[in-house]
Amino acid sequence: MIAGVGTPGTAAVRYDGVSKSFPGVQALQDVSFEVAPGTCHALCGENGAGKSTLSKLLAGIYRPDEGRIELHGQAVDFHEPRAALAAGVAMVHQELAFCENMTVAENLLLGHLPRGRGMTRVVVDRREMERQAAAMIAEVTGNDDLRIDTRRTIADLTVGERQLLQIASAVGSGASVLILDEPTSSLSEYEAQHLYDLIARLKARHVTMLYVSHRMHEIFHLCEAATVLRDGRHVATRPIGEYTESDMVRLMVGRTVTGYTRDRTGAPSAEPAKLSVTNLSSPGKFAPISFAVRPGEIVGFAGLVGAGRSYILEALFGLDEAATGAVTVDNAPMRLGTPLEAMRRGLGFVPEDRKRQGLVLSLSCRDNTTLPFLRRLASHTWVRRSEEKTLTQHYFAQLNVRSPSTEAIVGGLSGGNQQKIVLAKWLAAGCQVLLLDEPTRGVDVGAKAEIHALIDSLAKRGAAIVLVSSELPELLSLADRVLVMREGTCVAELPGHSSQDVVLRDMTGVLEAHDHHSSEV
Amino acid sequence: MAEPRRPASRSILHAILTSQQTGLIAIILVLGAVMTMFAGSHTDAHGAVVNNFLNSNTLIQVATDASFFAIMAVGATFVIVSGGIDLSVGAVYALAGVLMALTLRALDTPDGTLAPGLAVLLGAVICLGVGTLAGLLNGAMVVALDVHPFIITLGTMWVLRGISFVSSHAESILAPTALTSFAKAPLGLPRTLAPVPMLSMLVVMIVGELYLTRTVMGRHIVAVGGNPEASRFSGLRLGRIRVSVYVLAGLTAGIATFLGASFYGSASCADANGYELYVIASTVVGGTSLSGGKGSAVSATLGAILIVLIRQAIRTFHLDQNYEWIIIGLAIIIAVVLDRHGTRLLNRRLAAQ
Repeated sequence: MIAGVGTPGTAAVRYDGVSKSFPGVQALQDVSFEVAPGTCHALCGENGAGKSTLSKLLAGIYRPDEGRIELHGQAVDFHEPRAALAAGVAMVHQELAFCENMTVAENLLLGHLPRGRGMTRVVVDRREMERQAAAMIAEVTGNDDLRIDTRRTIADLTVGERQLLQIASAVGSGASVLILDEPTSSLSEYEAQHLYDLIARLKARHVTMLYVSHRMHEIFHLCEAATVLRDGRHVATRPIGEYTESDMVRLMVGRTVTGYTRDRTGAPSAEPAKLSVTNLSSPGKFAPISFAVRPGEIVGFAGLVGAGRSYILEALFGLDEAATGAVTVDNAPMRLGTPLEAMRRGLGFVPEDRKRQGLVLSLSCRDNTTLPFLRRLASHTWVRRSEEKTLTQHYFAQLNVRSPSTEAIVGGLSGGNQQKIVLAKWLAAGCQVLLLDEPTRGVDVGAKAEIHALIDSLAKRGAAIVLVSSELPELLSLADRVLVMREGTCVAELPGHSSQDVVLRDMTGVLEAHDHHSSEV
Repeated sequence: MAEPRRPASRSILHAILTSQQTGLIAIILVLGAVMTMFAGSHTDAHGAVVNNFLNSNTLIQVATDASFFAIMAVGATFVIVSGGIDLSVGAVYALAGVLMALTLRALDTPDGTLAPGLAVLLGAVICLGVGTLAGLLNGAMVVALDVHPFIITLGTMWVLRGISFVSSHAESILAPTALTSFAKAPLGLPRTLAPVPMLSMLVVMIVGELYLTRTVMGRHIVAVGGNPEASRFSGLRLGRIRVSVYVLAGLTAGIATFLGASFYGSASCADANGYELYVIASTVVGGTSLSGGKGSAVSATLGAILIVLIRQAIRTFHLDQNYEWIIIGLAIIIAVVLDRHGTRLLNRRLAAQ
């Protein structure tokens, strides 16, 4: 471990007048600040403010156009990520990059796989590889109840598990500077807690961390200092104690933003259920569950990553052919197992992983928006292009999508704007039942408030909404009722105004877990 | 952040310079210019001096040579854009040609009772029908058996080639002259010129391009190739779309056979041997991504023209024919590299301005 290199008083990382531009965009302009060694330093700003670019410059993914970067007092110029890694800078990406077809252990040790001795030098020592990988994972998770089997293939892991693995891989490389880009965006509160513990342990080892996150409470809880960026410019760098949450948000967006709070004072609707689910189950994924959603109601699902919440939404949208049960929409039964039937009945699904499941990244915003209902925009299979464009523009305006045009390639947009396009496609399709899986993951504060307001207004207009979120404050501020899932089973139904503690207790089954532990010791 | 507005004239220039086909057209034009300059000239029957390359006979000849596999390359573009691959088109070509020639020979009595118009119609129906059925077979197997299309079409390539071998007894079968006069019709041009294959190529290219960019099915094909998971989550029927691209590839092979067998006046089980690789090469030279999600029928046609042009250059410059394969192989690699890096350089230049 090359932790804590450099003399005391020297900044671990120093950006000096750094600028970077991409075709058509000035991503960073004359940014200068320092990061003290052994601290966790937050990078804050809206999507597109330049946080990711700043991180990628340090990680050797990009090179600055102007200015210089110092590491432990020495100017560095990384031509490629490998050079940055060799200098002790590791990055945990927002985009999770793994060889999907290989096992956890192979991925963690790729590039330095342990070999056998003597004649077996050409052969990978699998036992040693798995031992080392397990040690790396234990380092991150800190205890036994978040164990990931090192022999599983990456394709079988959930997004949350993959994120933990990425962190394990960066920490395991022995980095002295660690860039964490939205590390908790796909972790449940429970898993995130393990990450917080790990960050504290890394600080004790004088590892310096650059922490990019949209979650205010994390920044204030974990970081010693924070730098705020806006539109590629440096706005402020101060010790964390000199900020309040509201003025940090004000610095980030350049105006005052109030978090979205839903007005739930209206009397509960007495209308019959829009969506009614009876004994829906899928073998190996979740146990039979029954619930109903009335028009204008938001039903939330809480649970740890892997508790089966996403599987329920997939089954409802016809993506799970093994799912059984009775589902009715507007009192008429709906056939399971085909998304087309679900769409015909007015269901829309915003999936958890927008890059993999939500969008075709190589196509334009317009292509993506109209994909599910292109046939409706066609006369005799010829797509009516002007109508398609007008429709897309209408939803761009309604959702306040920031993109050069409707023809821009979706892959180039920020997370918040990408998510708005996934929402736009189901709104444009005229859905009355919306299944939302982590609708604000990796989305900045401004866009998040906009998405929350949108969800609320959809409910007010009579849509039935099922909301899965790992962010309890979001879930509790939006949902009328919260169903709590644990290990594939619905264990509780709570009112929307419940406290986080209560929900968390049901999510983790913390009492049982505690007993289990004490008996083991 | 306000988006910088470009003046309209500049954005049109920008669009032309960065369009997918620019690099390819530039390479074709440069090669054509070089050939015109160095080809030398001869005197024709009327005593006029004619360039050995830049004359209507040679140009239409190049287009005709290109047309047979350019048409199939449009079909292959659909398959490759959807994320698949079809190795069987050459075999489909041979089978359709053999079955067509055999059927027409059986129907035609020695005294030539089969009316010319009927012969042409029947020939077209058989070729297109056999091509479509073979495509349906490929597509259905790829989807139903869930085996990689490379393997399925590698298998059908040999099976279909074998069927045409067995059914024709390895003989070359003459096609009725009615077909030849159709495919070689001068359409008002001087008698030595035969523009039908070239025009068919242009029609297939335009229809294919419109299909891919303007119709619901075409757009679904691009989406499935770009991200099958997201397409499934948007309610697209992946199986149907995947079958359809192989059907279209078979159909274009049928069209190519009809023109080819008619033009050359015969069909044999050895026809179009290795065409599948020409077809894939044309598509790839045209910039279609082998991983799917990106491609164009126009580019595939231009790719086919470029390959034929290189072959023509060997003849025009009287190079040793034995070097043809080496030159074509290298040229394909160079064309793809030039296209990719040229575009990247150009984009950087334009961005820097």
